[in-house]
Amino acid sequence: MTAIERRDQRFGLLMSAPGLLALMLVVLFPVFFTLWTSTSDFTLLKPSNDAFVGLAHYARAFQSNEFLHALSVTLWFVLAVVLLEFLIGFAAALALDKVEHGKTFYYVVLLFPLLMNPVVVGLIWRMFLHPTLGIVNYLLSLANLGPVDWLGNPANAFWTVVLVDIWHQVSFMVVLLLAGLSALPKEPYEAARLEGAGTLRCFFWLTLPLMRPVIVVTLLIRLIFAVKTYDIVYIMTRGGPGQATDLVSYFIYRQAFVGLDISQASAMAVILLMAVLLLTAWLHRYMRSLAA
Amino acid sequence: MKKFLLATSMLIATAFGADAKTINILMEGVPDTRYVQEMLPEFKEKTGIDVQLEVVNYAEMHTKLVPQLVSPEGSYDVLIVDFYWVGEFIKAGWLQPLDERIAADGIDTNRYIPSIMNLTGKVDGVTYMLPFYNYAMGLTYRTDLLADPKHQEAFKAKYGRDLKVPTEWQEYLDQVKYFTEDAGIEGFKGVVNQGLRPDPIAMEWSNYLFARGGRYYDPETWQPTLATPEGIQALVDYRDNIQKYGPIGAANFSFDDAFNVAAQGKAYSYLTFNMFRPVYDDPASSQVVGKMEITPVPGGSLNGSWGWAIPTSSPDADAAWEFIKFIESPEIAKKRAALGGAATQAAIFDDPDLIAKYSYYPQLKQLLQTSHNFPVFTYTPQFVEVLGRELSLAVTDGKDPKEALETVDREFAEMLRKDGKLQ
Repeated sequence: MTAIERRDQRFGLLMSAPGLLALMLVVLFPVFFTLWTSTSDFTLLKPSNDAFVGLAHYARAFQSNEFLHALSVTLWFVLAVVLLEFLIGFAAALALDKVEHGKTFYYVVLLFPLLMNPVVVGLIWRMFLHPTLGIVNYLLSLANLGPVDWLGNPANAFWTVVLVDIWHQVSFMVVLLLAGLSALPKEPYEAARLEGAGTLRCFFWLTLPLMRPVIVVTLLIRLIFAVKTYDIVYIMTRGGPGQATDLVSYFIYRQAFVGLDISQASAMAVILLMAVLLLTAWLHRYMRSLAA
Repeated sequence: MKKFLLATSMLIATAFGADAKTINILMEGVPDTRYVQEMLPEFKEKTGIDVQLEVVNYAEMHTKLVPQLVSPEGSYDVLIVDFYWVGEFIKAGWLQPLDERIAADGIDTNRYIPSIMNLTGKVDGVTYMLPFYNYAMGLTYRTDLLADPKHQEAFKAKYGRDLKVPTEWQEYLDQVKYFTEDAGIEGFKGVVNQGLRPDPIAMEWSNYLFARGGRYYDPETWQPTLATPEGIQALVDYRDNIQKYGPIGAANFSFDDAFNVAAQGKAYSYLTFNMFRPVYDDPASSQVVGKMEITPVPGGSLNGSWGWAIPTSSPDADAAWEFIKFIESPEIAKKRAALGGAATQAAIFDDPDLIAKYSYYPQLKQLLQTSHNFPVFTYTPQFVEVLGRELSLAVTDGKDPKEALETVDREFAEMLRKDGKLQ
């Protein structure tokens, strides 16, 4: 390395140091503090980290049927929303990609739910889905259907929450996938058409392989957000009826602010963080393998 | 020139000094908060103290309060404390005892209804709060249907008793069944319930428990007593009312969902917080104006209330006490009640002016005097979570009521042991 390069490197480090320091303070410090808290006995009644308890809170978390149940509900919820949103979002993005006029209008309409606060979304849908006074059952009754118990029955409630989440978040998928589709090169398609390939063949042999990195990133981001879902469940069902919609983020919140047990909640949050990190690492490796 | 500058500085300092006398209170967005707001100009006129109210919804209150209470100097001078939090706040040492201040100002706390003073006033003989407003539950029912000769005749023919304001639990259950199955009103139900977990279902079911003669725990030993025949029967009653005699979806209704069903004239009865009683008579929110009345739940209603307190971290405890003294003075308490406030002082329910305005005050007083308290200990909010979860599982997920209540008893006992109440 030449003297100029060394000087440039030093200058670069100097310029990025404030940003890195700020990042450490706002990201790494809370993470390490949570790790530390998870091994102590910090409660809101005795807010101090002076008693070291090792991995006791982790052991207790894995012995808690309620926590394990919340993890399993979350797993199903994440699978349902990510897959369904991807399928709907990809179909919508493919359709929009072909639109010549009024694309901005469609964008605005699609983005509208995404711009809404999840609490507002929950409240609106809770009103719409009121079984006796809501508009959805009223419209169904005009077609001699229903009434449907959207949120009072455990099986229905889970899928209702999934559907509301799809309504709220699907445009996120659409926007990202549409950006990917717009950036695809035109030449391979022209060549394929000349060779006589039809729409389906082009989709499976060109669009899907070319879009794979975008798809993986989109799924990854959506998956991480889906794991953190809290607001909609808090507003619409409070984890019920029974335990049908008891998502893990809401469960951890209750451990901290209702149970007052910050250390136990921290241990559960760390377990969740590890699960998401492992999944992210796996998806990252998968992406690298695709690139290779 | 120097004198002029000195005088100006003193003037500015005085002005800033006067501005500094401001107290902050975090309050819930409920009607009683509005009535407090209306009293603030009078308080300012009397004491020169400004009051800033930060109004949030209930769900945010605890999360906002705790970090302030943990710190040595918080930003709230006065607190309002839900009875849920009393055990936790006292255990953590977050509230200042008020006995010395009460004695110094000669305030007679006997003016409060005893059950409310026990809930959000005194803890183990020490006064930490003065009650603010009550939210005891009561049975609201349709008076027009009870008075209808057609229903009176049909009910008597089927159940062999008069159709009247229920004074026995079985009588009420028969009425619920009648108005769902036999009254011949299309789409009409005998009852609407608030089955959302955790608070709405736990609070509402408590009335069923008391009605069946059950109790949460043995008052001598704190041993949980829910999985008893009375408790199990109460849960069976509750499950039947939701599944057989209520509108669909009631298993996930919050109190506003359920109230709207009753207020739209689609149910004969709703067991709810007494502060909803005047709302039935508001044409903007109700289709049953003049047709609903409230009565104590046969067997005793569930009590509920909020109290005024001064946190240990209060920046200005003296100004905070001035405010509590003012807002709870009999004169101001009456003014708040006249606006529609849910009173806690016994004399208000006997006041002729107020009875002329609110004809249901005698029933309300009886309701408050006979109501039962929910278990108050350090982990009450956590207990409500457990109770709500198990009740909801029994109502919606086919869990056996006995098994559900045994689970509640087991987890309740663990919390009581952790709190040192149960040996």
